[in-house]
Amino acid sequence: MYTMKFLTVTFVCIALYSCSGKSKKNDKPRLPLQDTVIAQAESRINPFSPIDVSPMDMSYYPVDYPKLKMTNTTVEPLIARIIYSRPHLQGRELFHGLLNYNQPWRLGANEATELDLFRDVTIQGKKVMEGRYILYCIPQADKWTMVFNKNIDTWGLKPDPAKDTYRFDIPITQTDNRIEFFTMVFQKANGGANLLMAWDNVEARLLFNF
Amino acid sequence: MRKSAVTAVLLLLILKGFAQSDSVSIPALDKSPMDMSYYPVDYPVLKISDKVPDTPVARVIYGRPQKSGRPIFGNLVEYGEVWRLGANEATEIEFYRDVTINNKKIKKGRYTLYGIPEASIWTLIINKDTDTWGAFKYNMKNDILRVPVSVTAVKEAIETLSITFEKAKSGCNLLIMWDTAKVVLPILFK
Repeated sequence: MYTMKFLTVTFVCIALYSCSGKSKKNDKPRLPLQDTVIAQAESRINPFSPIDVSPMDMSYYPVDYPKLKMTNTTVEPLIARIIYSRPHLQGRELFHGLLNYNQPWRLGANEATELDLFRDVTIQGKKVMEGRYILYCIPQADKWTMVFNKNIDTWGLKPDPAKDTYRFDIPITQTDNRIEFFTMVFQKANGGANLLMAWDNVEARLLFNF
Repeated sequence: MRKSAVTAVLLLLILKGFAQSDSVSIPALDKSPMDMSYYPVDYPVLKISDKVPDTPVARVIYGRPQKSGRPIFGNLVEYGEVWRLGANEATEIEFYRDVTINNKKIKKGRYTLYGIPEASIWTLIINKDTDTWGAFKYNMKNDILRVPVSVTAVKEAIETLSITFEKAKSGCNLLIMWDTAKVVLPILFK
């Protein structure tokens, strides 16, 4: 009985909240964005391959391409895919001990972050060829240098600058957010898509033009 | 009881508030985290110590669901149904060179790997429709290959689905293990 009541109340609240959230989008101060910290359940011993503390994830453009395909929604052709691992802050601060300015960073954890481009794109007026790259970045106080590199299928710790193919400087934004897990997602943008990188209170965007 | 219900509702609202914003939606961490396995085993690590050839042979990318106390095969994963061999996106297998499986030449490229589990024999399927979710849009006409593989029972149940490679005579084996089931797919480098 209580359970029923509880479920009903929960459901109604969520429904009401969702509606009010939409209609009142702008009249209340924006809460700092924070992803939910989900403590990974301690996985029981797996002798073959334990679960990683920085789990891997992938992001497509068009956003959620595999799901769109499943639901038969008409989508633009597949353009890009990122595969990266998601380290988390665990009480640390991004640029106070975790990352250092002017030191290359693999934009993730473990394996180097991989970008698959399924067609040629243009970035900052430069043509970037279809194909597979690893991405790394050189963070600086006021900008990040994003590097596309052809040394694919590699671990992220020793980038080989001899195989760099493109470099782009992008501005960074300081926010009030505190994003626990490093996040890379594509977002539709004017003339293409942004690759958004967010972690702690820093956001950086690299614009891909199609 | 009522108090805890109210707390729970409040908590949900707070979480919802945090999880949504006008500009960005941050994907939450997945319950079935993604993982990848290479052949040669641990290729990326070996590569930074220059111990391996220029390209790997194969790579699998898959989501890793957990047993969490449930019986898996014949229950959570039904017998006789096409299964994505993982969670979320369908499992991807990529060959960086042509290989031979079950006497059939498989061309270098990216594929989706499905399985149809049964109690003692699974059918593994290599399908050319990639970048897809689950097995919901599985279409047999995109199959490149179907191979029967026999199931070995393992003594101690494996909590997390594991797909890895191991070295084998004239090639490598793809190992798929979960709960008490283990299947092996031989891949020949010729």
